[in-house]
Amino acid sequence: MERLLINKDNIASLPLVSEVSLDTNSFNNEEMIIKANQVIDILIDDLSDETNLKINMQKDSKAHIAILSKNLLKHFEITANLEENAKIEVFFADFSNGESHNKVLINLNKNNAKAFWSLASLTNGKDNKEFEVSILHNSTNTIARSDNYGVCLEEGKLVFSGISSIKKGAIKSKTRQNAKIMVFDETANGITRPILKIDENDIEAGHGAVVGKISDDHLFYLTSRGLTTLEAKKLITYGYLKPIMNGFKEERMKEEISSLVEKRV
Amino acid sequence: MGKLEIKNLHASVDGKEILKGINLTINDGETVALLGPNGHGKSTLLNVIMGHPRYEVTEGSITFEGEDVLSMSIDERARKGLFLGMQNPSEVPGVSNSDFLRSAVNSRREKPISTYNFYKILDAASKEVKMPFDLATRSLNEGFSGGEKKRNEILQMILLEPKICMLDEIDSGLDVDAIQVVADVIRKEQANNRAFLVISHYARLFDLIHPTRAIVIINGRVVIDGDPSTIKRIDTQGYEFIKTELGISIEKEEPEMNKVSLGSCAVREAIK
Repeated sequence: MERLLINKDNIASLPLVSEVSLDTNSFNNEEMIIKANQVIDILIDDLSDETNLKINMQKDSKAHIAILSKNLLKHFEITANLEENAKIEVFFADFSNGESHNKVLINLNKNNAKAFWSLASLTNGKDNKEFEVSILHNSTNTIARSDNYGVCLEEGKLVFSGISSIKKGAIKSKTRQNAKIMVFDETANGITRPILKIDENDIEAGHGAVVGKISDDHLFYLTSRGLTTLEAKKLITYGYLKPIMNGFKEERMKEEISSLVEKRV
Repeated sequence: MGKLEIKNLHASVDGKEILKGINLTINDGETVALLGPNGHGKSTLLNVIMGHPRYEVTEGSITFEGEDVLSMSIDERARKGLFLGMQNPSEVPGVSNSDFLRSAVNSRREKPISTYNFYKILDAASKEVKMPFDLATRSLNEGFSGGEKKRNEILQMILLEPKICMLDEIDSGLDVDAIQVVADVIRKEQANNRAFLVISHYARLFDLIHPTRAIVIINGRVVIDGDPSTIKRIDTQGYEFIKTELGISIEKEEPEMNKVSLGSCAVREAIK
């Protein structure tokens, strides 16, 4: 398996990356082609404020992409096109600041293509972020899961939207959409708009959306053991966003995510 | 002056008064059995002492070692030495049990405990409650059986070394062996001059921990405050004798749902 590290300085000019480790991939501006049978592991450690990524995955290729965003973000866009048996997994830990509208579009174009999208996002201050995550099942036996978790603090606003769509003829496809937002303060705002668009009968599809405030009973339980309300909130937030860490293999990235929770809550 | 003094305490939940003038003093080294029918205010009393936000204190006072408890935040109360072992401990997904226990231990210390020392005391306490050590690495109470949750409460009590331990039906959901384990821990802590306030519906636990006093709460008031022989009597006769001997009528729990009979408009009845 190949490893590829992208950071803030080189993401705007992805071809640079080929110097790091990749010579089997060809890049066309910001377009990445993952060749047939290739297995690749990509870590993006922080995004520049505007990032547009295109990934074309050929037959039987696999990509694991972990993204950490921790500074100002205006626009992030990722488009992935998958061929037969290709599989993409994306883990996005979003601790960015500012106002951003972000788009994710995954096209499962051929038989048995798979996509697993996981997002953990935290908004505080006056952040206003929207994540539009759409997965299109254009072929048979395609499988997708979209998990979006968010925490809204202070005057932050967070929106999860997007469509999971199964086209006519994409039989035996499976899709699942989850959106969960925990709202901490009365001034914070969390919105989820899960949409399924299904044009085929012989499929499996499901979606779930929850927006709720932090549980009084949980807070009572933790504080009754001596933790301050702030410590309790940090622990609960950390626990809530923790599943995203499974996507990060490096210990230092896990530590960085914990310290971001520590700093931002 | 008692360790914990409660005077004329009134408290309500969702506008309904549950505690209607509780007077109670707990001293060092006492083990007090708290009895009474369901829905008469036992759990409410313990939750109010700990500061659960759902309960509103409308009148009266609680002092602990001379300090006003009602003006303290929940975590301050805990750090002063109050502890509530919950009837239904919350499951908090994602929060690791050991992270939580460590934060709780550290909340009482000026310098954070070292990892080595923490695992040493955690290991010792886990053995004491006969809890598999792997429970410490799992999410807080998530997927724990009823018995495991209660053992986890007792484990926390050992680690936090409170001065007053309030245990709300700690024996419900425990098998005979587990009750023995919990009772052993309580007896050990009694020797350290800790005070206990224990709610249970079963005489078995009380037989093992030998309360020094028994208190019965009915209709939101303390109606009996005396020697532990009351426990046996209630265990064998129920609460009926209180009606006849003390002339107190026992209020029944109100049904929660509106009564809707066939033939009436359920929606209209419900919004009345």
